[in-house]
Amino acid sequence: MDANRSHRLRAHGLKLAHLMTLFVAMSIICLPGLWIVLNSFRPTVEIMAKPPIWIPNDLNFDNYRAMFAGAGEGGVPVVTYFMNSLIISVTSTAIAILVGMAGGYAFARYRFRGKSAIFVGLMVTRAVPGVALSLPLFIVYARIGIIDTHFGMILTYVAMNVPFTIWLIDGFFRQVPKELAEAAEIDGCTRWQAFWRVEFPVARAGIASAGIFAFLTSWNEYALASQLTRSVTSKTMPVGLLDFTSEFTLNWGGMCALAVLMIIPALVLTFLVQKHLIAGLTFGGVKG
Amino acid sequence: MKNFASGASALVLAAMCASYAQAGEFDGVTLDAKLIGGQQYEALYGRISEWEAETGAKVNIISKKNHFEMDKEFKSDIAAGTTSWCVGSNHSSFASQYPSLYMDLSGLVPAETVAEFVPANIKAATLDGKLVMLPRGQFDVSALYYQKDLYEDADNQAKFKAEYGYDLAVPETWEQVSDQAVFFSDPPNRYGTQYAGKDEAIVGRFYEMVVAEGGKLFNDDFSPAFNSEAGVRALNWFVDLYDAGAVPPGTTSYLWDDLGNGFASGTIAMNLDWPGWAGFFNDPASSKVAGNVGIAPAPKGSAGVRTGWSGFHGFSVTSDCENKEAAASLVMFLTNEDSQKMESDAGPLPTRTAVWDYVTEQAKSDPYRSEVLAAFKETAKTAFAVPATPYWIEATNLIFPELQAAILGDKTSEEALEAAAEAVDDMMRENGEY
Amino acid sequence: MFRYKLPPWLLLLLPAIIVLAAVVMLPLLLSLYSSFTPYRLTRPDSLFKWIGTYNYEKALTDSKFWAAFGRTIVLLTIALNLEMLLGLGLALLVSKVTRGQRALRTMMMFPMMFSPVLVGFQFKFIFNDNVGLVNNALQSLGITDQVIPWLVDGKLAMFSIIFAEVWTSTSVFAILILAGLYAIPKDPLEAAKVDGCTSWQTFRHITLPFIMPFIYIAMAIRSLDVARAYDIVQIMTNGGPARRTELLWTLIGRTGYVDAKMGYANAMGYTSIFLAIFFTVYFFRKLTSARNELGMGG
Repeated sequence: MDANRSHRLRAHGLKLAHLMTLFVAMSIICLPGLWIVLNSFRPTVEIMAKPPIWIPNDLNFDNYRAMFAGAGEGGVPVVTYFMNSLIISVTSTAIAILVGMAGGYAFARYRFRGKSAIFVGLMVTRAVPGVALSLPLFIVYARIGIIDTHFGMILTYVAMNVPFTIWLIDGFFRQVPKELAEAAEIDGCTRWQAFWRVEFPVARAGIASAGIFAFLTSWNEYALASQLTRSVTSKTMPVGLLDFTSEFTLNWGGMCALAVLMIIPALVLTFLVQKHLIAGLTFGGVKG
Repeated sequence: MKNFASGASALVLAAMCASYAQAGEFDGVTLDAKLIGGQQYEALYGRISEWEAETGAKVNIISKKNHFEMDKEFKSDIAAGTTSWCVGSNHSSFASQYPSLYMDLSGLVPAETVAEFVPANIKAATLDGKLVMLPRGQFDVSALYYQKDLYEDADNQAKFKAEYGYDLAVPETWEQVSDQAVFFSDPPNRYGTQYAGKDEAIVGRFYEMVVAEGGKLFNDDFSPAFNSEAGVRALNWFVDLYDAGAVPPGTTSYLWDDLGNGFASGTIAMNLDWPGWAGFFNDPASSKVAGNVGIAPAPKGSAGVRTGWSGFHGFSVTSDCENKEAAASLVMFLTNEDSQKMESDAGPLPTRTAVWDYVTEQAKSDPYRSEVLAAFKETAKTAFAVPATPYWIEATNLIFPELQAAILGDKTSEEALEAAAEAVDDMMRENGEY
Repeated sequence: MFRYKLPPWLLLLLPAIIVLAAVVMLPLLLSLYSSFTPYRLTRPDSLFKWIGTYNYEKALTDSKFWAAFGRTIVLLTIALNLEMLLGLGLALLVSKVTRGQRALRTMMMFPMMFSPVLVGFQFKFIFNDNVGLVNNALQSLGITDQVIPWLVDGKLAMFSIIFAEVWTSTSVFAILILAGLYAIPKDPLEAAKVDGCTSWQTFRHITLPFIMPFIYIAMAIRSLDVARAYDIVQIMTNGGPARRTELLWTLIGRTGYVDAKMGYANAMGYTSIFLAIFFTVYFFRKLTSARNELGMGG
């Protein structure tokens, strides 16, 4: 009896500790971000106050209102930036996933000479720091005339994300036992059908997470975008953030307001897509 | 079509001297422009449609970025050879870096027009005898903002007199600033003053202090001259304040935005800062010291010279532009009296003599604005631009880490300046300056 | 008729190879060439002057370069290991929760929604010594009445940068490891329970080996990606003060764009690429061996 109770107590204690740790961890993760959200509703005088004002006494939409106003009155072409970001990120993510699936499948399922070398070769392209790449890339793009276009940005982000999607998707494909696909082929499926019916659903978790990563990378990328975009025809939101700076001043409240507009779609998308990660759970059952 | 357009514009060029802009003068011309973005600068671009209506030309803004991004873009453009756009924003501190990008405007802009600008500004806009830009109504020099009530407080006055032996008054010399900064400091709640601590910003501050101490940053051949007694005195001003705890300990990480927000938070007694902040500091929505802001001309160094590192924005025309006349006409329009009036109504300082008078007149009923203008006008009289070498920015990048090292105590002032001078000297030699 | 057929693996890889060749390899060849010239952005003709390995010699004999190099390695090592451990912990915490997983996972990925530029500004203000959030909080709570110069003090400045970097990137580890945790087959876990293994033993001998490939994937991806910290560092300290936080990327960025000395910057850039290649190859090796242990190699 006693042993049982102490065991229950211990389990309770563990659970409590677990929840506490989780809470603290989540707070550290979320607070700096929520601070930005809060700032977007506050006048600068309160954000940078000393002694600090912990309980906001003046929350308003001024920063948002100003952002949507005309140029010169604090306005920034938010809607255009938003559309640019959306078009560029979504298209480049979709392409990067397709290319990545093809590549990942090749690495996971075929044997060929120099495989490791090719793999590492592809990966290191990602290792090139944006600072080192941006100028030569600019010169090449300027020569073929795709500076400040959606196409140029999409191409860049596909290249940026492909090593990464290949790698991730490869890892997930590897976890699908070869025998599964082979069994399907014996059952009369073509390799193509076997892929879509057997391997793809199982690797969906990997594809979803690769997709989230690729999307967020493109959505938030700054170093290359600041070099390859110039005007409203292709400027993305991270570059737009700098519209709130001038030579000597910086409008932090306004910047936060735009930041919130950037975060919301990313958050919604992540929330929607991440459930596919659960597909990985099902896979555990499949194998058994 | 192209030939026709340039032929037509060559024709009207002759007519231009007589009448400023004729209707339909540049019909069918499209100008690509790269203009600086940001709240303070963009209101002016609303006027472009007026110019378009007047001349029949179209302006196509192909790039709008902040100052530093724009600089990167211009350099990339020069590198890639994509410089056939026409009108670009320019800045006096950056202009010397692009010697080949922009053309000499003096052939296209009538001498009378040039004469309407403040002569010192035109001088700074002229590099190697070429007028590379026309200044817009965005002139920058720093004056001393301070919290008025600190000086009005009788207790402060008595204590200060007892401690330093002279009356507490708004400082006229940098030595007084030092005394008062130490006196007003009460960390962590209040600091006497603060300064920009990195990048070009601190080198600019050091530069003006060297001048105020009677020294020079560079010799005439742009070899470093700051490793001198005046240089050490100038640097020690920064070092001593830091050691005394009279500036925030993080000041070496500050750039302009940190400084402005710091003064607006009410924790800084005196702040040497730019005109762009004047409105911000006195606006209750953005500043806790609103209503308590005083402003005085920049103090003087031991040589009796005011600090006065200055700069201004302007517009230039590229050498590769196909419609130089139209481009020059747009540049003149954006810098004409009406344009400058519009810009300076919002706060920034003009670069035209007549507009200075106009803003002073306009501000008569507003004591704060009058005080601001008077302080900046006085400082502007002796203001000076950055050394006109294409390697100015590169030199600042070699100098600033050494200044920081001295301020933070990693090196003595002498060692730091020695190291910086050596690095600059090597750089200038490598670039074949001498 | 002769018809040459590409092997299927090459066909599958072709799109990736083409895109990468166009966007990465071609510009890289250009910059490799320029690293042998005194190329200045503002003087395009300087691109055609060959100066051999001068830039490399200059970089390799420059103590500032080596200091930045060493600091970059230290930052990489500390940040990556810290992110890995915290990410693992976070993933384990989240995976144990039975309700509200979906919301938790989204929250866990929250920092990933922040653009590095934004993170730079954000932590610059949070760590501001005078009106920043951290010092204000510490002073309000009465923990200290000192002003802590987070971005200036040699150690604290590195700490602040690492904190910002870890804050943004721990999520990447957490989500990948979490995905790995989900993919663990149930049987061995249940068998272990039946055999009376402690939870530590189960973790050490079943869970950990299984998620090891995921950890290495995440490690390698992050070590490639860590150069994105450039945006953060550039805004927070720009390598300062007095070069206390100077990293390879801030040094390269400043030399290349602000000083316009692209040839020299590219020479330093290549050295940093070798560093990245080293890390990648290292983790790739680890990944392969972890996979082989699990019988997933090939």
